[in-house]
Amino acid sequence: MITQDILIGYVRTALPDAVVSVTDRTGTMDHFSIRVVSDGFKGKGLLDRHRLIYQALNEPMKDGRIHALEIKALTQDEA
Amino acid sequence: MSDTVNTLEETIKKETPENTILIYGKGTKEAPRCGFTKETIQFFEKYGYPYQVIDVLNDMPKREALSKITNWPTLPKVFIGGEFYGDTDILLDEMEKKGEVKPLLDRVFQKK
Repeated sequence: MITQDILIGYVRTALPDAVVSVTDRTGTMDHFSIRVVSDGFKGKGLLDRHRLIYQALNEPMKDGRIHALEIKALTQDEA
Repeated sequence: MSDTVNTLEETIKKETPENTILIYGKGTKEAPRCGFTKETIQFFEKYGYPYQVIDVLNDMPKREALSKITNWPTLPKVFIGGEFYGDTDILLDEMEKKGEVKPLLDRVFQKK
């Protein structure tokens, strides 16, 4: 389990300008949908955007605090 | 540890092009053991092309080798024509909305 603020904190260490919205998909605080808007994605394909977020959340994913993650990754003008 | 990773990487590098559509996942085609693997199977069932599911649920060394090669931490992992596509919720979902999946599969299977 992880709180949304801590999850968002991880994302923002990698993408300081990120606007992040989080949905707890199962109410168990470990299956999330997140929508991340950041210009750090500019020029990056979808897979690389997801890789960026997976790297930012590597720790809570490795230690099991996050089980499943659905990601929407957009630049500011795509959002 | 490093030599087992290499031989695993070699197996993976052999398996992926050999199977035009290849899904590394949890469970088998007949008995998927995770919702995402099941979704991936259902995604490809729609197109009617043959696809292979390799169950790596209990094969941690291979899962680690796969994550290393693809720089992608999660399962399922989809390869089409030897190329990595993540899972079906990302690239393939977007491509499907634009009707690009069928032409891709037609092209990849024609090369066979």
